[in-house]
Amino acid sequence: MDIKGSVALVTGGGNGIGEAVVKHLARQGAKVAVVDMAQKNIDRVVKDIKEMGGEAIGIQANVTSEADTARYIKGTVEAFGKLNIAVSCAGIIRDGTMLSLDKETGQVSKKLDLAKWQAVIDTNLTGTFLTMRDAAEAMVNGGWEGLLVPISSVNKAGQVGQLNYSSAKVADALMPKIIVGEFLMRGIRNIRCVAIAPGYTATPMLTGMNQDALKAILEDVHLGRLVAPEEIASLIGHCVENQALNATTIEITGGLCYPKGIAK
Amino acid sequence: MPTFTYNDITFTVASSGDRWDLSYALPNGASALAGAGLFAGLAEAEATARALALVKTIFPVGIKSVGPDVAHPNTIGDLKIVGPDVTHPNFIYWNKDSVSCPKQL
Repeated sequence: MDIKGSVALVTGGGNGIGEAVVKHLARQGAKVAVVDMAQKNIDRVVKDIKEMGGEAIGIQANVTSEADTARYIKGTVEAFGKLNIAVSCAGIIRDGTMLSLDKETGQVSKKLDLAKWQAVIDTNLTGTFLTMRDAAEAMVNGGWEGLLVPISSVNKAGQVGQLNYSSAKVADALMPKIIVGEFLMRGIRNIRCVAIAPGYTATPMLTGMNQDALKAILEDVHLGRLVAPEEIASLIGHCVENQALNATTIEITGGLCYPKGIAK
Repeated sequence: MPTFTYNDITFTVASSGDRWDLSYALPNGASALAGAGLFAGLAEAEATARALALVKTIFPVGIKSVGPDVAHPNTIGDLKIVGPDVTHPNFIYWNKDSVSCPKQL
């Protein structure tokens, strides 16, 4: 599928990886819908795309809401007449171990809050499901060629302190196989699904963290630096253009390894 | 520069070369962008009509109950979830212009 002339929708498009994806696709000639919770971020990204000579709409929305999802899918089709690419970048973290013990008694002093669990599952899993489902519905009913891109994470391998996040991201990584299998079963041939699992990426969240902690993280990355959001955006652009990429999850980590040098 | 009001929000359709930008006024007086570089080559009247159609899809008028409605919990096993839910029968989704919404005291 050509990026030029296509229509893309990116949730979490107001910053980080989502912003890079929106700008990359717009630069290549796609019309883009920027979906984000923060209007300030939407304004900035839409203005940037305008200055690039691109075409964009911005929709403030919550990906965990079924009504909001219907609204931004419908809005994208209303503005641009079709939908070809849906990238689900909206995500949050609420880290914490499942149990914390009192050092003196050895008894459980704290449990992972249900609210922390639910917020991450709602945004990172249910939000991705709703966007993929409704985007696919629009693509099927419109008869448009399409690509669905759930954003997983290399932490789908399991990361301590991230039971909620890793659980959601491993489920996101499974989506392409299941969705494409169902498409095959239903005779839907015009839509592909490829998930992307980034490693440690140079988003504001990571670049702003304690620099010693960041240095420790990078010791396990063969590339020796954080992955740039633009590198992930470029990979997604390649996925759009390469029809053979389908029903799979692609890791882009710079060679992230466990401390003993085994690739994650 | 055409303006129109929908759902008590004032929208402005501004020409930008042969394209159109769509912005709207925020309650604090600032302006936010709903779209840029849209409707290439369309005349003002057509662009305004397209902008209104777009606005109606992304700024729907809604009435949402703020729950929780403990009489209609969704359940997962023994867990009762009583938060507001768009699929719940007490959620009213109003997608018409605000002027068509009957005012009730």
